[in-house]
Amino acid sequence: MSYIPGQPVTAVVQRVEIHKLRQGENLILGFSIGGGIDQDPSQNPFSEDKTDKGIYVTRVSEGGPAEIAGLQIGDKIMQVNGWDMTMVTHDQARKRLTKRSEEVVRLLVTRQSLQKAVQRSMLS
Amino acid sequence: MFSRNHRSRVTVARGSALEMEFKRGRFRLSLFSDPPEDTELQRKLDHEIRMREGACKLLAACSQREQALEATKSLLVCNSRILSYMGELQRRKEAQVLGKSGRRPSDSGPPTERSPCRGRVCISDLRIPLMWKDTEYFKNKGDLHRWAVFLLLQLGEHIQDTEMILVDRTLTDISFQNNVLFTEAGPDFELRLELYGACMEEEGALAGAPKRLATKLSSSLGRSSGRRVRASLESAGGLGSSPILLPTPAVGGPRYHLLAHTTLTLAAVQDGFRTHDLTLASHEENPAWLPLYGSVCCRLVAQPLCMTQPTANGTLRVQQAGELQDWARVHGVLKGTSLFCYRQPEDADTGEEPLFTIAINKETRVRAGELDQTVGRPFTLTISNRYGEDEVTHTLQTESRGALHSWMEALWQLFFDMSQWKQCCDEIMKIETPAPRKTPQVLAKQGSLYHEMAIEPLDDIAAVTDILAQREGARLETPPPWLAMFTEQPALPNPCSPASVAPAPARTHPMPWGRPRTFSLDAVPPDHSPGAPRSVAPLPQQRSPRSRGLFNKGPPRTWLQSPV
Repeated sequence: MSYIPGQPVTAVVQRVEIHKLRQGENLILGFSIGGGIDQDPSQNPFSEDKTDKGIYVTRVSEGGPAEIAGLQIGDKIMQVNGWDMTMVTHDQARKRLTKRSEEVVRLLVTRQSLQKAVQRSMLS
Repeated sequence: MFSRNHRSRVTVARGSALEMEFKRGRFRLSLFSDPPEDTELQRKLDHEIRMREGACKLLAACSQREQALEATKSLLVCNSRILSYMGELQRRKEAQVLGKSGRRPSDSGPPTERSPCRGRVCISDLRIPLMWKDTEYFKNKGDLHRWAVFLLLQLGEHIQDTEMILVDRTLTDISFQNNVLFTEAGPDFELRLELYGACMEEEGALAGAPKRLATKLSSSLGRSSGRRVRASLESAGGLGSSPILLPTPAVGGPRYHLLAHTTLTLAAVQDGFRTHDLTLASHEENPAWLPLYGSVCCRLVAQPLCMTQPTANGTLRVQQAGELQDWARVHGVLKGTSLFCYRQPEDADTGEEPLFTIAINKETRVRAGELDQTVGRPFTLTISNRYGEDEVTHTLQTESRGALHSWMEALWQLFFDMSQWKQCCDEIMKIETPAPRKTPQVLAKQGSLYHEMAIEPLDDIAAVTDILAQREGARLETPPPWLAMFTEQPALPNPCSPASVAPAPARTHPMPWGRPRTFSLDAVPPDHSPGAPRSVAPLPQQRSPRSRGLFNKGPPRTWLQSPV
């Protein structure tokens, strides 16, 4: 998943549909994100390429909507409801996930196990 | 004149003997009146005409530009709906007339062509990117021009609109939050999407003209526009592109212009987000022109009825695998791409798990008739599926010849629907009916800061300072001293360090408080040890630190985490 600026990115993605949970006045998804183009990518423990400034899932609350939907820690989020997440700041990413008017968010995520599985099946 | 099985249309003259007979209740009017779908359409047409009158009155009474824009939008939508309903009524009457003249009363029997089932089509998360010149977007100086835009969506004779959104050059995309649902769509549907825009400011040409002249110019139909009106009335389902299609009294209000349009069909349907091209319809001289990038991103899904509703059910006997003589009796329900076999008919409704499920998809093969194993058992059919190398065959016995015929008919209809609806039959696509949205309460009215935050253990200082800055930003002249811990710019002169530190910038007015740079709990805070000569990297003296500013000094040194 190495990234060359200006070149299109190809990835094997998984669709994850999260139904937000209402907690009082807030709608929560039950996970935490890290990363962004305004952040330091070398501190990202989950990325394979330490210059990757994408948005990664750093924590998934147990029993929360994200875990139920199949989101895993270490996933890289590529798209949220049609909006790109590979070239956004940290705050923009947080805002795109926490829109109050949306109750369902559809994510496209990629993880290393997916890439490896596809590579293995292509070799065999 | 009137034959028993034929519905015909009759206009009843006032005062005639027939009318008197109706009034006396001798005949039921329904025997002579239009089929119920036409009355429904007529009712909708009357409703739209009434709405249009209301919108005209509202427009005349409007004083503010924004209200006038909303009223004009309602007017435009009503006009379009009236046109399309009238076109549809015309088409139906023509079809009736043609159908009657072609068919003879002695003809009976079902039509030989199969028609695919209807479906629900939903389009949501519509987003149209804009393409401002970078000088306009980043420098953001000069008058802020604003536009009001909305989308008009048409499928068949149904027209729906989105909310009106105000756009200015600080927005990168026009996003509509609406979920638009069409219920009676066929697989050959054409969903036409039109983007209309209007200036928020008064348009130049008619703004200076005296009001009477302006209304006269707008409402009279010249030769060319009259021809246009007649042409659009004749064309079936034509969609008007200007509000002056049907003569309306005193239309002096704002004008919407068609900015772009596109047509989406079954090929564009996918359970995901896709980008489609827009055909741009206006050019720069148009007052309402917006710099559109040229595409629209949306989620277009379709749910054919055959996937969501059962198409056949009844009692079946299924031959158990390997046991030639053992046939289990089940209640079968054909829904979507599966035949569910329940123990009892009631299980299907109560949500019980079926005994087993037979998949029916494009590769399934169905055959009716007797096989060698089913000697002595009439009215059987077989369903074969191929799973990799193996072929699995289920043999089912129906109750009677009629039952066998109706099961086969249902299966053939399902195969036909699957061939027509293509990718929509692979899996059921989800359509959300958004719950009636209650307006989010404005929490700022409550005094305390704690009402605004839900702090989780892993929440970092970023959220706290963010909220604090938003609340306090307008009021503070200079930030409190403790806030300096989170910025690299000393807000007040630090008494400890020597004078080499850059002095706090002289502020003549409260700085627009951008979000202060914050550190995650793991990062190393800047060294404020007193006494040490600060070899200070040049601090941003004039600019207040902004997290959006990638023109800050140096590479980012944080890796924030935020809960969502």
